[in-house]
Amino acid sequence: MRPDNIVVVAKREYLQRVKTKGFWISTLLLPLFIVAVTVLPALLIGMSETRQTIVVVDETGRLGAELAQRANSRDGKPKPDADKRGMAVDESQMARFDVRVEPPAANRETQRADLNRRVLAEEIDAWVWIPKSVLQGDRVEYHAKNTSNLFTQDALEDDLSYVVRRARLAEAGLDPERVGELTRQVRLDTQQVSEEGSRAGGGVGGMLFAITLFMILYTMMFVWGQQVMNSVLEEKGSRVIEVILSSIKPFELLMGKLVGTCLAGLTQLGIWLGTMIVLTAPGIAAAMVSLPKELNIPSLTPEMAIHLLLFFILGFFAFSTLYAAIGSAFNNLQEAQQAASFAMLFLIIPVFIMYSVINDPGSTMAVVMSLIPVFTPLLMPLRIVTQMPPYWQILLAYLFSLAFIWGMVWFCARIYRVGILMYGKKPTFQEILRWVRYA
Amino acid sequence: MTPPLELRDVRKSYGDFVAVDGVSLTVPPGSIYGFLGPNGAGKTSTIRMIMDITAPDSGEVRFFGHPRTSEDLRRVGYLPEERGLYRKMTVTEQLTFLGEIRGLKKRDLLPRIERWLERVDLAKWAKSKVEELSKGMQQKVQLIGTVLHEPELLILDEPFSGLDPINQELFRELLVEHRRQGRSVIFSTHGMDLAERMCDHICLINRGRVVLEGELQQIKRRVGGNTYRLVAEGDLDRLKDLPDVEQAVANNGVVKLMLRPDATGPETLRRIVEFLNVHEFRSEEPELEQIFIKAVRDAS
Repeated sequence: MRPDNIVVVAKREYLQRVKTKGFWISTLLLPLFIVAVTVLPALLIGMSETRQTIVVVDETGRLGAELAQRANSRDGKPKPDADKRGMAVDESQMARFDVRVEPPAANRETQRADLNRRVLAEEIDAWVWIPKSVLQGDRVEYHAKNTSNLFTQDALEDDLSYVVRRARLAEAGLDPERVGELTRQVRLDTQQVSEEGSRAGGGVGGMLFAITLFMILYTMMFVWGQQVMNSVLEEKGSRVIEVILSSIKPFELLMGKLVGTCLAGLTQLGIWLGTMIVLTAPGIAAAMVSLPKELNIPSLTPEMAIHLLLFFILGFFAFSTLYAAIGSAFNNLQEAQQAASFAMLFLIIPVFIMYSVINDPGSTMAVVMSLIPVFTPLLMPLRIVTQMPPYWQILLAYLFSLAFIWGMVWFCARIYRVGILMYGKKPTFQEILRWVRYA
Repeated sequence: MTPPLELRDVRKSYGDFVAVDGVSLTVPPGSIYGFLGPNGAGKTSTIRMIMDITAPDSGEVRFFGHPRTSEDLRRVGYLPEERGLYRKMTVTEQLTFLGEIRGLKKRDLLPRIERWLERVDLAKWAKSKVEELSKGMQQKVQLIGTVLHEPELLILDEPFSGLDPINQELFRELLVEHRRQGRSVIFSTHGMDLAERMCDHICLINRGRVVLEGELQQIKRRVGGNTYRLVAEGDLDRLKDLPDVEQAVANNGVVKLMLRPDATGPETLRRIVEFLNVHEFRSEEPELEQIFIKAVRDAS
């Protein structure tokens, strides 16, 4: 074996991938997406000064003013006495109103027709008719050109419910302030317990955090494995393989291909994890106003990131070697796809048990599954970002994975060596296994 | 001088099918060596074993007077029968890669690549992706990729198949130039005309076995002392029925006749004039095609 050959091949693979526009688009898109869903809404709230002008016709004569006062004072923050409190990002918080109260006219039909005309002329955005029966019933008419602005309607509904409920309570002889006080909701204040003592985190935020990182790793292994398979198929299909094999051994070509592609994947993952380390650093996460306090996104520590990168390397080598063998055995993508979906099974099983691992990362099932080499590259990182497992388990996972990769490379390289020069009929599974036994 | 390539009793079977059945040959230095045979004779199988792409079941491949090493393969320029390039790479990237896998450094390669592209009129395509090139241009790039590392031995598998006339001339020129520098060229072909024009040594292979090997002129003298050129009118098909005639290949009224070794020219001519109006009948050197047909018939 000549290491210099592996270097030449790896260099080609790396540069050919990293030089494409697609690589940089997908690499930069994810951080942009994360920024978009976290930082951007906060900025948008500040910018969205477009108020909804709504005319309220109040038959009861006493709710309109209170509704206008409450709705017009919306400022993007949840009110302490609101019905709903931001679970995740609640877009209805972004609604702004300019509510004007108008008394009901003698001729209702004329008034309604006139209000409709004003909506069509875009003088106002909507009009609301509060009937006398509102305290007994639960219906209020809403007329607008745009009826699909659910968040705005949601906000208006909230405010209406608030004033109607207060009126009903007052009518029943109860003090609305006192009732509000007594029926206040109780919230869990989540604290994650770890070696370093309790820290804020976990809950929905912790789960989102773990799922995001898990899905990134999953997608990476899947996408980059496919890339390796396609590149093997390309070399075979274009027949460039034979010139290369006259100077390079199949094993050197395979290794160079894996190393080069892996480095391209690491470049991408490194950029992503770097972005996440910065974005989830304690000070910065707090500054992201759009994230409700309850979300508690945990920080991605550099230590976690290093484990993620290492497990990506292990997972990549385990799966991509298999993908390379599959690519070599078949003549085109259609033929290879079927076998490739079989390989994908090992990546999909961890997705199924993802939630139970997040829920109880220390359970016997989670520990055992995360130590089975085909699942380790996805499940061990998931445990690490959910709750740092004991070091001996992480170490064991690395050792098992390395042994597994050694076996995979041995097995797949033998298929690859024969497969890349086999043209013609689609081979059967038995035939492919026979190649492994060739001297 | 040591021969650049020797095969000693090389064998290869695929399952029950014997592709190469004990091939031995010696390529002399400074020669253009034709590796001839019909389709399926075992030419490509043999060449793949020479290049260590597949391993022989038994036998030995020797380069430059010693058993083959991986270092030797870097001194060889190889153009396979099924040839391709990376579609998404530019011409320069592609050629740099092909040079680097033969152990050359990028900085030494770039000026060479430039010179070659200049020579074959591809200079302005240097930065284009291979997929943007015409088939003829891709063939030129493949040829440059084969000779870029200045190999001491060229091994070309069916190099002339699918070439346009301009590229054929370019390839031919390069092979002759290579020989002039004292290096050897081995190329396989099933086209006898071409081999006849270019080769000084040949190896004829059929069903995995060598049927003839040696210097072309010697082979011609040895095998075909009994060939004649006949120009005549009449029913030329009847020539084949004469007992003395081994082969009769007619083309535009000109017949290449190969007689049995014990037959004589004048005797045969007497029989021919009985049914043909003969204009010309004279002794001639045999053509490679005739030798080939005879050798294959004799062997089977």
